Amino acid sequence: MGSITASFLSEKNLHPRAQEIFLDAISRGWADPGKIHRASRELTRLLDESRQIFANHLKIAPNSIHFLGEPNLGFLLGIEGVRKYQSAASIYFPATARQEVMALVAGRNNSQSLTVDLSGAWDVPVGSLTDLLVHPTVNLETGAIAPSAEGFVGQIFVDATADPMVGLPSNWSTALWDAKCWAGPVGLGIFAIRDDSQWLNPLPHLDHRKVPGGYNPALVIAAAVALEATIADRINSEAETSRLSSLIRRFIVDEIGDVDIASPDDGVPHLLSFSFLYLDAEQLVDQMERRGFSLDSGSACISADLEPSHVLAAMGRLTHGNLRIDLSPDMTEETVVEMLTQLNAVVKELRAQ
Amino acid sequence: MHEVDCRGMRCPIPIIMVAERVKEEKAGSKVVLLSDDPASWPDLQAWGRMQEHVVKQIDQVTFEITV
Repeated sequence: MGSITASFLSEKNLHPRAQEIFLDAISRGWADPGKIHRASRELTRLLDESRQIFANHLKIAPNSIHFLGEPNLGFLLGIEGVRKYQSAASIYFPATARQEVMALVAGRNNSQSLTVDLSGAWDVPVGSLTDLLVHPTVNLETGAIAPSAEGFVGQIFVDATADPMVGLPSNWSTALWDAKCWAGPVGLGIFAIRDDSQWLNPLPHLDHRKVPGGYNPALVIAAAVALEATIADRINSEAETSRLSSLIRRFIVDEIGDVDIASPDDGVPHLLSFSFLYLDAEQLVDQMERRGFSLDSGSACISADLEPSHVLAAMGRLTHGNLRIDLSPDMTEETVVEMLTQLNAVVKELRAQ
Repeated sequence: MHEVDCRGMRCPIPIIMVAERVKEEKAGSKVVLLSDDPASWPDLQAWGRMQEHVVKQIDQVTFEITV
């Protein structure tokens, strides 16, 4: 029995199209793009082509793009780079923002956590010209799409690490993507600065470089191939993924019951998070694994620090008995039905104990 | 008022024990949950919403449920 999910971001497989060209990309990506040799010029051409692919699909200017060998560094560059140019009076961030954002801004006396409702939405403040808003386009756990930030008058750091297909607000300042979210390789972040004149490098640096140069060019080429392929897959499978998501929602409510679905109906359909009342997520995940389905969970008993998912807690959703599913574009109804049949049996078994 | 002492226990046990206690209670009565599990307060609120009980946090480890 195959896995229903490539699990979450950390376990997403490299897209088969990117796997096909990966060895070739490594052999071509070994030159130094800064030199003038033939191999270097060839690599520069490939990087420029890749940059253009990112620009087209992510809808940003090619010259705004910088590559990062450590994607999470982009949180610091995106937030602190704006703040170094112009100290933000207030930093607003939704309570469901990623932990990497929390680590940078939570607890500062000028940071303001925005309360989220049951659907994961928050009220975007108008702010002032010197304020900074953290805008996660899609929540990685629930698939909830962020409310419009077009009315915000200050600077905006866009965390687009969960999904490449939900666009940026027109008034964005800096933005970050992680190639893993489109089945690209591990270890490549795409960082963008809309207006260089309104950003200062917050890291120690000697020259005019915006980001550290330690990225692997082969990963850039593979990530561009993966992005094109994943977006094509997602567009082709959009209707089917929505149908399968509805099927899962109906089944867990009608056939299993006592379930709290954290993912809103109008989120991205491939991400689903739901929690079963009175159940231990570790047992759920373990029992489903034994039946051939690798699911993930945001419950405390699964997390490394034994804390419940801050996303579920902020939304007021049930944090125990949680399961998260990422439906890949090639998911079939047969696999989903089999997963649901097994899940129903496991929940009934565990609740009877 | 009945007290359910779940200190030292981890989720979902406090919610399971509260739910069992609440089943025995008449509508309008109160149950107190003692729990030091960080998941208890968010879970109690979600459980209250799903099962239509009013829940209130008294202090860090004390929660009141109106059946």
